[in-house]
Amino acid sequence: MTPEILMLCVASQLCLVTGQLLLKHTMNQTNLTPMPWQRVIPLFALGISILSGWFFLWGGLLQKTDLSYIYPFEGMGPALMLIGAWLFLKEKLTLQSCIGIGLISVGIALVSAS
Amino acid sequence: MPTSANTNAGEKSPEAVGGQRWWLHPYFLIILAAFCVTAAELLFKRGAVATANDPAPLGIIGVSVLGSVWTWLGIAPYIASFLIWLHVLRRVPLHIAFSIMSVTQVLVPLGAWWFYSENISPCRWAGVLIVLAGIFVVARPAMKAEEDL
Repeated sequence: MTPEILMLCVASQLCLVTGQLLLKHTMNQTNLTPMPWQRVIPLFALGISILSGWFFLWGGLLQKTDLSYIYPFEGMGPALMLIGAWLFLKEKLTLQSCIGIGLISVGIALVSAS
Repeated sequence: MPTSANTNAGEKSPEAVGGQRWWLHPYFLIILAAFCVTAAELLFKRGAVATANDPAPLGIIGVSVLGSVWTWLGIAPYIASFLIWLHVLRRVPLHIAFSIMSVTQVLVPLGAWWFYSENISPCRWAGVLIVLAGIFVVARPAMKAEEDL
């Protein structure tokens, strides 16, 4: 894997995680009554914009390499998402979910290494 | 012989799980979204291959994939998965939902192997199985907690 591909993989993952954290935060706001539209709309737009960045980075990666080769790098997502959800969304983590996400990451590393 | 007319009002329909229709269950919807993402990724790959030698407009990486009809066909299941995902996010913690969506780590390589004859080594198969085990460990207690509600 070249440094350029690696950098694009990391950048795409950061866009994916940031976009998803924003979307989750936005959808949490939609459960409130009355719904705070002034907050929901800009947050939703920002989340979508960042996910669009991920989409184009991902498209560029797909042009350069095999799908099954780079797809496992998407698997950095669950570990980053776990940290992000805990830090920014204050989601409660259980030991079991940490073990499960650890297993997912190990499995993905195996897939990548092969 | 019981009929629908004399069923107790409080009795749950066989279709209902946890007080809701099974197809609205958030964990079923996550899996449905995963299948949509898999279809989209496979179509994007076809679009990316079709435009691999096209010049990048304005030098921006990835934009030329929009020149393929396969990419646009791939956008449809992505939009479907996105709408399903928004619904799921209202009900399920992000780290749980996202972990279960890792089933795409299994479905996409399988699809790439099946449709594009991409190689999957035994080591990669082992990784796929461990990912599945991880998803099971994450999802099982969360699903059980939801059913107990």
